[in-house]
Amino acid sequence: MTRLVSHLQSSVGRKVLTALSGLGLTIYVIFHMLGNLQVFQGPHAFNSYAAFLRDMPILLWTARIGLLSIVVLHIVLATQVSLQNHRARPIGYAIHRYRQASFASRTMAVSGMVLFLFIVFHLLHLTAGVIGSSSSDRVDAEGYRDVYGKVIVAFQNPLVVVLYLAGQLGLGLHLSHAVSSSLQTLGLEHAALDRLFKAAGSAVALLVVLGNVGIILAVFLGIVRL
Amino acid sequence: MKFRLKIWRQNGPAERGRLVTYEAQDVTPGMSFLEMLDGVNQRLLGNGEEPVAFEQDCREGICGSCSLVIDGIPHGPDRGITTCQLYMRRFPDGATITIEPWRAKAFPIIKDLVVDRSALDRVMQAGGYISVNTGGAVDGNVLLIGKDQAETAMDAASCIGCGACVAACKNASATLFVAAKVSHFAILPQGKPERTHRVSAMLEAMDREGFGSCGNQYECEAVCPKSISVRFIANLNREYLRAGIVEAGLPSEPESPHAESV
Repeated sequence: MTRLVSHLQSSVGRKVLTALSGLGLTIYVIFHMLGNLQVFQGPHAFNSYAAFLRDMPILLWTARIGLLSIVVLHIVLATQVSLQNHRARPIGYAIHRYRQASFASRTMAVSGMVLFLFIVFHLLHLTAGVIGSSSSDRVDAEGYRDVYGKVIVAFQNPLVVVLYLAGQLGLGLHLSHAVSSSLQTLGLEHAALDRLFKAAGSAVALLVVLGNVGIILAVFLGIVRL
Repeated sequence: MKFRLKIWRQNGPAERGRLVTYEAQDVTPGMSFLEMLDGVNQRLLGNGEEPVAFEQDCREGICGSCSLVIDGIPHGPDRGITTCQLYMRRFPDGATITIEPWRAKAFPIIKDLVVDRSALDRVMQAGGYISVNTGGAVDGNVLLIGKDQAETAMDAASCIGCGACVAACKNASATLFVAAKVSHFAILPQGKPERTHRVSAMLEAMDREGFGSCGNQYECEAVCPKSISVRFIANLNREYLRAGIVEAGLPSEPESPHAESV
């Protein structure tokens, strides 16, 4: 067992844990987007979905604490690995040219930080309601908390829309490299599946970002309204 | 042809280095990059100056000695070749060419463009071997190996250990090197007995030498003179995970007769 622990502390071990935690968060982000698409079904569907999620406080808080610990683990490990990588080349090149590294792969630290700041803002804004909420505790006609109304009001503010779109840009960039990269780190590779694994990153990023941006813009442009 | 060269000059490991500009004259398009540098050094010697130190040996792309970062790309602008296989016809006449050494903490500069790559040797010593009994050679075809396996192992074994993967990597990681070495043993039956210990020992040695880790950007594959695929890196990760699981079930660490004294 101590061997296994020391295995996970090596650079590859840390990368494996980073990949696993990242994939876990990716799955969450996909379901988060899919659930939120119910905003298109109107206030009843959306508010009862929100009520359904809040119905089971033990599950809700387990999920929240679980997600938070995964985020912390992911960030701590990624930072450790990056710092170690940074130390591996104390003197840089006068000229350095990339041959095939994607833009997303070169900006993982930046997109990760953008994403982290966005998550903090998003939690304070729509989850905790600390930032810019006036209607957080309103109740709709059926007695549910009016989350639908809260979302509509929030995304009518152009500043909020800009911040959310920036967050989605960070998310899309991060995911487009992260997913394929994680599969490689976990050793998932096969001649027949290589192209599928390579495309997985962009596909997941596109799916999540299109869904989320669709919600934001639909509200901002007045397609979905109160 | 004429070229303006900006070459990294550094007197010794502890000295400060800098880029110095030289002129390369009377270069013919058929000259290799190293022959062009030979010409520059001849002129420097003639003027009583210190020639530029660079590593070279076979000059036919198999020894892995030559190690120049040319205009920001290890082994220069062409794919699948070493510096010695690069010809001056590849550059426009009158071009400015910047020449730097491999840069990594694990590859300290000895002089000018020569770096100490013995870190890779120490990674090999940690596990890049198979233990066989001495004596008469084994008869041919005693050990049958499938064509696919043999080809894949050969693809990995074509690594010449030049270190271009480290030089190109944003993280100065030797992962492609380790992946190639681990894979070529792991695929063949001769490598199976030490399979589990090998991957852990070599990756630990890589960390110890101060190399970074893989960021899956695949720059290494693009500059590798032997075009070794990053699929071997996935294989390395798989081997490492397997070793973690297998070793977790072992009673204690197996004592290897070749184990490094730490």
